[in-house]
Amino acid sequence: MNLSVNGVPHNIESAPLTSLLDVLREELQITSAKAGCEQGGCGACTVLIDGEPQRSCLTPVVAVEGAEITTVEGLGTPNDLAPVQQAFTHHYAAQCGFCTSGMMLAAHAYVEHGGTEDREAIQDALGGHVCRCTGYVKIIDAVAAVARGDSFDATLTAAGTRMTNLGGVA
Amino acid sequence: MAVHKGRGFAAIEYPTGMNQNGDPSQAWIKVKPDGRIDVFAGTSDIGNGSKTIQSQIVAETIGVPYEWITYDNSNTDSSPVCTGTFASRATFVAGKAAEKAALAVRARILEIAGKELEIDPADLEIVDGEVLAKGAPQKKISVSDVAAAATWTYGELITGTGAQLKPYASIVEPETGKVDLSPHSAISYASCAAEVEVDDETGIITVLRLWQCYDVGKSINPTLVEGQIEGGAMQGLGLGILENCYPYYPSVEHRGGEFGSYLTPGMEDMPQIDTIIIENPSADGPYGAKGIGEMANNAQPPAIASAVFDAVGVWVTELPITPERVLRALEANAEPRRIGKLVIFDEELSINTVGNGPVKLEVLV
Ligand code: FES
Ligand code: FES
Repeated sequence: MNLSVNGVPHNIESAPLTSLLDVLREELQITSAKAGCEQGGCGACTVLIDGEPQRSCLTPVVAVEGAEITTVEGLGTPNDLAPVQQAFTHHYAAQCGFCTSGMMLAAHAYVEHGGTEDREAIQDALGGHVCRCTGYVKIIDAVAAVARGDSFDATLTAAGTRMTNLGGVA
Repeated sequence: MAVHKGRGFAAIEYPTGMNQNGDPSQAWIKVKPDGRIDVFAGTSDIGNGSKTIQSQIVAETIGVPYEWITYDNSNTDSSPVCTGTFASRATFVAGKAAEKAALAVRARILEIAGKELEIDPADLEIVDGEVLAKGAPQKKISVSDVAAAATWTYGELITGTGAQLKPYASIVEPETGKVDLSPHSAISYASCAAEVEVDDETGIITVLRLWQCYDVGKSINPTLVEGQIEGGAMQGLGLGILENCYPYYPSVEHRGGEFGSYLTPGMEDMPQIDTIIIENPSADGPYGAKGIGEMANNAQPPAIASAVFDAVGVWVTELPITPERVLRALEANAEPRRIGKLVIFDEELSINTVGNGPVKLEVLV
């Protein structure tokens, strides 16, 4: 069967009921979609299927034949990051990064669908994504920033903007 | 049947860095011929920002821009020993090793710059990538030129190592627990205040606000410090009302079932989180820093427990404070009586939460 991932067509050899997550990670070696719970509970495996965020762990690959799949690699490139990727970098919205691909794809779809910077609306849209590290504060800040259309200095990370001057050696 | 609001508070002290247990970190720095700096250390960065923090420490200590630093912690074969990122030690212990290595490199740069400028190294300083004569900054040479001179003129590699180790402490007086080392120097202090809403019909607790105050010694990068404190807030909230601890994991009786039965806080559980950073320097951390990683999720459970007491007058003494535990505790108590904002469950034991009523406080633990 055929599957297009980030605009690249692939001929898939896995069995039809293999999860889309396994096809991406094992057959195509695209490991940005994470295998968290593999039960639909954490959101780490989220990819965009024809632009809609879906859990790839619960999606048999045969069900998405002919669809366009987007992973974070399809959002932007290291030298040309998508707004949501810039915002996550700028706001220090990722620590270990395990939830980050899923969060960014869900956030991207949220903004594409006209989502606003309203905190509760963001919590609703991303509520099914578990993050163990950040406490969500900076993730929500990042999503709100994209929704507002903030622009970022691509050369500066969040950590870079607030380095304490330690005064060096006297 | 009603929803009651309450506030509670907890304070903790936390020995960050585990630095009495023979727990080494080492760093090695070399300067390339163009003056750019390579740092080799074994401290993994698990998202806590240790790469950024240690690069900042090295840049500031040597006196060069942050962008000049390449921090390589990718290979434990080529890097010196570091026991790792745990026990809130990455900044406090490994950061100190990086600082010491940077001091050694700085001294070498000054020596070679001294030869080039024909000035006593003691009269030189390094500011923003340039070695300047103190008081006569027109006499200067860039660190890049110093590194080039080391390479091409003197045939030397500018390099430095640093190590940090507090040896294993032995107990010398079993009766008192006295050990043969000076006291731990990076005790951090923190507090958390929680505001909750408790539904006395369902037992459900909603955490509305967490105020968090953390002493980190020196906040080398406030954004990264906030990240630890905010993440800790949600972990602590989870430990307070949602998550079971399994202290004997991985023994089979001590672990959760499947993912869905272990409740990790989600975005919808988020209270308003207010973070306050306090700088109360440590004696021997880099630039006075202590650790922040682990202590960030300790104060919330007791703060929430005391907020629940404030709201409905019962102490739940087991974590997590599930709806069932709240209801059982309420059931064990008499029906609450309410006078204005004052909720009285037991005339003998209740405390006055707001007004001027009779106060009789007993320690109920
Ligand atoms: S891995 Fe798919 S939802 Fe957790
Ligand atoms: S950054 Fe670690 S789980 Fe979200």
